[in-house]
Amino acid sequence: MPTVAPLPGGIVTRAIELVLLVACLLCAPVQAAEPKKVIRDVFPVAETGFDPAAMHDLYSAGVIRAVFEALYTYDYLARPAKLVPLVAAAMPEIAEDGRVYTVRLRPGIFFQPDRVFGDKPRELVADDVVYSVKRLADPKLRAPYGFLVEGKFAGLDELAAAAKKTGKFDYDRKIAGIEAVDRHTVRFRLNEPDFNLTYVLSHEATSIVAREVIDKYAESDGRAMSHPVGTGPFKLGQWIRSNKIVLDANPDYRGFVWDFAPVQPGDEKLVAQMKGKRMPAVDRVEIFVQEEDQTRWLAFQQGELDFMNMEGPLAPNAIGTDGNIKPELAAKGVRLDRYVEPEIRYVYWNWLDPRVGGMGKAQIALRRALAMSFDASEEVRVILNGQAVALEYPIPPGVVGHEPQWKSTVRYDPALANKLLDHFGYKRGTDGWRTWPDGSPMVIKYAARPDTQNRQLEELAKKSYDAIGVRMESQRDRFPELLKLEKACKLFSREAAWVADYPDGDNFMQLFYGPNTYQSNNGCVSIPEYDALYKQSVRMPAGPERDKLFRKMARLLEYYAPQRLTVARYRNQLVQPRIEGYRRHPILASTWQYVDVAPASN
Amino acid sequence: MWAYVVRRLWQMIPTMLGVVLLVFILFNLFGGDPAYVLAGKISNPDQIDNIRRQLGVDQPYYIQLGIFLKQIVTGNFGASWSTNEPVSHILATRLGPSMTVLVPLLIIETIVAVGLALAVAYVRGSLTDRAVMIVCTVGLSISILVYIIVFQYVFAYKLGWFPVQGWGDSFWENLVRYASLPILIGLVVSIAPNLRLYRTFVLDEINQDYVRTARAKGVSENRIMWVHVLRNASIPIITHVMAALPGLLIGAFLLERFFSIPGIGREVILAVERSDFPVIKALTVYVAVATMAVNLLADLMYKAVDPRVQLK
Repeated sequence: MPTVAPLPGGIVTRAIELVLLVACLLCAPVQAAEPKKVIRDVFPVAETGFDPAAMHDLYSAGVIRAVFEALYTYDYLARPAKLVPLVAAAMPEIAEDGRVYTVRLRPGIFFQPDRVFGDKPRELVADDVVYSVKRLADPKLRAPYGFLVEGKFAGLDELAAAAKKTGKFDYDRKIAGIEAVDRHTVRFRLNEPDFNLTYVLSHEATSIVAREVIDKYAESDGRAMSHPVGTGPFKLGQWIRSNKIVLDANPDYRGFVWDFAPVQPGDEKLVAQMKGKRMPAVDRVEIFVQEEDQTRWLAFQQGELDFMNMEGPLAPNAIGTDGNIKPELAAKGVRLDRYVEPEIRYVYWNWLDPRVGGMGKAQIALRRALAMSFDASEEVRVILNGQAVALEYPIPPGVVGHEPQWKSTVRYDPALANKLLDHFGYKRGTDGWRTWPDGSPMVIKYAARPDTQNRQLEELAKKSYDAIGVRMESQRDRFPELLKLEKACKLFSREAAWVADYPDGDNFMQLFYGPNTYQSNNGCVSIPEYDALYKQSVRMPAGPERDKLFRKMARLLEYYAPQRLTVARYRNQLVQPRIEGYRRHPILASTWQYVDVAPASN
Repeated sequence: MWAYVVRRLWQMIPTMLGVVLLVFILFNLFGGDPAYVLAGKISNPDQIDNIRRQLGVDQPYYIQLGIFLKQIVTGNFGASWSTNEPVSHILATRLGPSMTVLVPLLIIETIVAVGLALAVAYVRGSLTDRAVMIVCTVGLSISILVYIIVFQYVFAYKLGWFPVQGWGDSFWENLVRYASLPILIGLVVSIAPNLRLYRTFVLDEINQDYVRTARAKGVSENRIMWVHVLRNASIPIITHVMAALPGLLIGAFLLERFFSIPGIGREVILAVERSDFPVIKALTVYVAVATMAVNLLADLMYKAVDPRVQLK
């Protein structure tokens, strides 16, 4: 009878050995299953879904940018950001003074194979573009970026209005505003001249989808959030919602050759590394969702992540007071990509409130005094750890129309602010606080979210107002409630922020356009002279003539002081040494298709 | 006993109605209007109305409440307002990761805390007992956030014993590789208060007459502690453990968030941040039902553990 030799050691020892063996096997990286080149990125906020028309957040936009394509995109290195054709064969032919755009598509662009196409690639045609743009107006989809097309295309608003009545958007009904002229040509006819349409056609929300895919995979509300099928360089490989997104290189993608011209210092090295490479060079992008600063930072330092954005409180860990990367990180080869976000932050005072708003001299003086009491440099220094710049002009750096030499006439000057208030009858009471001209106690309400940074902003505002004898009351509420009040023009004042949807000054100047009240004009400002100039500006292409108008409008904003510009933040992107060709783009939500992994690090 | 069970099940209905009313009132009072967030950067009153209509939040409150009740009865809570993911899918996919961390944690924590409680109760008043109690008091005075930050930094980042964060596709990989450190932190945090609590339960029994009688009869100390004392102390211990069970359904918020565990706790935070009422109400209802069911189960277990208990 055969016998089995007993294993040395006791049963407990053997069990421990077995557990450790299994653990080691489980923990060991499975090299064979790993694709060749993998990059790992992180989102600090969870994504929501990948239907371009339903896109709601920056992080979903990043994935959409990688999976889908729009008619246009941006040159990877050009600054300010410059539009280039993507699905379009060339820049649009613009006729009738900006009313008619004709876009010719590049033939031979295919959607990734999908069951709905019989697992074969399907060519992108003009009808797909028409369908994709129309979707933004479909009320059922409640498209967050519907404003990009609202009121713009001839016949589209009427189509949307009919859909509200019938409950069904008629995608088959032809409208003059968006039409497929032939298989590879789309014509857009606008209600008003608009020289910014190409920016709209480069936005992630106008990424091109196939109607069959939406019909097949859309949920009950018409949105297909979980089954993106695009023509872009990547396809969705795995998605653990709010935790991990894996994008695999799309094997049916036509590819492109990396060929961008250097613009900024340091671009030459990057160009030398990348020029002539066939893209996308990476096989897989793994994106982790990690909300906690410490976890992201430790994971980056341990090499678990290739990219890391060092925002406000995190920045001092990696960036010195001189704005350069710390030597210990530089010694490891970590690079810092730093630029000013195309955004503005501003404190506004409600124009519709008769005590502080409107065109009356006393109100103008009051707002100017309030504006002069704010020290934006203190916000940069104390609250944002030096990771921002104080703004002078309403169009931020990196955006077409920005004036780098501009000096605002509204300076931090509490002494002058006090004199102005004294002169216009805002007297100090016996308690030292100022009163309204009618003698009643003056109170300025300042609204903010109850989080750490907003509390700091609130304290700074209080300090500023205290210095000019104006009593401030805090109004703390959650973001949805503040938004609700703001959209109804019921907030007295708040520090608002606006990040560019497209890199053109118009996207910022529209914030103070009277008819945009209850929409994007948070302070509900209405200055007839400004509005007239704005109307003129939208009919002009970008250039010196329009810049001249913008300068006039900026001075009007300084004179009437409906708001006080504060800051624009730096984006500090750290990149591991293994990543080649990386340059953070101010507008593109993701740029994984432009980078490579250094050969030695694979 | 069955009459008791049926009666308790009937009693769940008014309790459940109370929970539903409370959740409904709280959300409508303090939840915020989700339409403004969902509307995006630029919206007009028409678009806001359209969103409110689609979400059903423009309906009179009694209709909204009726829909809520119908959802509870059918078990269909619809889809998340922000991601459109069906709530049933959210629960089905997020419960697994939470359980992977919390079930082993609950089991190990209970075994260790009960064992240590018996041991320190046995040497009550000694230097060891006092030292353990001091350590426990210090331990439970420190916030879980501190443990997470320190342990993640030391054990994951500095020593490299664990990954800083992550979650994989295989159950065993998750349990052994990714859940180990969160479980360790959970143990450190929970053992201290539970040990103190269980020690008092054991001490209550150790001074009873039956223990003295057993000793007088020559029963071994091991048998006295592990059989007689433990069995009698188990009723409050069961109560405590059972009360923790519904907590498994809502996950461990901070552990999941810091260690990138795609669990239900993380989903709860997201839902609150996004004013995602369908997710919030589904979770609240499930936790309420689980709490009531577990309480009933605990009562039945008392009877099994102690035959003197009468279910009336």
